[in-house]
Amino acid sequence: MNEERYILFDQYLQGEMTVEEKNSFEKQLSEDHEMVSEFETFKEVQVQLKNKFEHEDEREVFKANLTSISDKHFNASKPKVVLMRPWYYAAAASIIILCGLFFFDYNNPTFDDYNNPETASFVERGDSDTNLIQAQAAFNDGKYDVAIPLFEAILKVNNTAEIQYFYGVSLLEESKYPKAEIVFNELIAGTSVYKEKAKWSLALSKLKQKKYKQCKEILQTISQDYENYDDVEQLLDELD
Amino acid sequence: MSPTKIHPDQMYIEGLATNDSAIIQTIYKKFVPKVVMFVMNNSGDKEHAQDIVQEVMILLFNQSKANTLQLTCPFDAYFFLLCKRKWLNELKKTSNKGVTINEDAVSINESALELIGHTEEFDEKQQLFDTMFQKLGDKCQELLKLSFTIKSMEEVAEKLNVTYGYVRKKKSLCVGQLTQWIQEAKNFKSLKNN
Repeated sequence: MNEERYILFDQYLQGEMTVEEKNSFEKQLSEDHEMVSEFETFKEVQVQLKNKFEHEDEREVFKANLTSISDKHFNASKPKVVLMRPWYYAAAASIIILCGLFFFDYNNPTFDDYNNPETASFVERGDSDTNLIQAQAAFNDGKYDVAIPLFEAILKVNNTAEIQYFYGVSLLEESKYPKAEIVFNELIAGTSVYKEKAKWSLALSKLKQKKYKQCKEILQTISQDYENYDDVEQLLDELD
Repeated sequence: MSPTKIHPDQMYIEGLATNDSAIIQTIYKKFVPKVVMFVMNNSGDKEHAQDIVQEVMILLFNQSKANTLQLTCPFDAYFFLLCKRKWLNELKKTSNKGVTINEDAVSINESALELIGHTEEFDEKQQLFDTMFQKLGDKCQELLKLSFTIKSMEEVAEKLNVTYGYVRKKKSLCVGQLTQWIQEAKNFKSLKNN
């Protein structure tokens, strides 16, 4: 190893050379290609060492966090295969058969399993529109038959995606399918933030009517970015 | 050269660099399923996919910490292709059969390919560096670690109970040793390629 050379490199980089030493070093560099290449590598190694040690703690924290997110992600989509001993199979099988006997009629998922209308909060402080206030109150109390005509009145003067969405949900709750589905389809064709929610609601409408195949087809169009995508996956699983 | 414009997806890179769990989860949700599909369709299983993804994420973390990663194309294409190429290289290593990497070049824009080139070069350099660093003696490793975390060489000398002159010289030589090995590996590689 050319020890002298590396000591020179370091002195030069640390600014520890006199003017003459510096000039002579630079002259040497300009005449020696191999030395230039080695000097470049020397600098690169310094940068790598700096990166390695400066962020070492952060890197460890990142790796730990990454591993836990990764495990959660991969185990959620795929239940870990647990090795079972033969007698466990027998026990498991008999339990499954028992459950099957009990729940035979309940094989298909139902609308009620997934019916969690969110709380409406479209009335802002200071809003004095009585229709709006009453509609929100009726909707949140589950009095959808009261809310529907109020929404209809509001939509005549103020046709927003938000009101349309809650109107559609109310119609669905009252099992007014054709009307509800028109509203949802309109939202799906639009670009509002209610687009994915409307797809989910439309799927629930099909579910409520026991149109499982159509329900599934709609679910498959929902973006994975949808906030409640977990529900979508669960329902898809149950429909299989 | 045209001025490069940073893609809004740079937020994913920043998120990795700052260990932002929400962003990391989003990456898993949005971009990882495609990688899993690809690996499973190409002689791998879910565990392989999980490992490949993790390796690429750590690579991106390192590259962004070194401030050399600026996304000029969508994250989606960039990330998928990196994972895909890493997996195919992995296959090449383990199987005797030749694996051909078919780039569906039509669907990938040039800036994505260029960016992937940079990242792979970064990866290669870092792997070479890591291998060589492990080859160093314990004393060199310890001294370098202290020099690059403490910064003041006087303090390093104090900590190791040796003179300032000694640590300065020893540090130059340890970095020099790494330089020499890496330089040799580089020369060998360019010899092979020519």
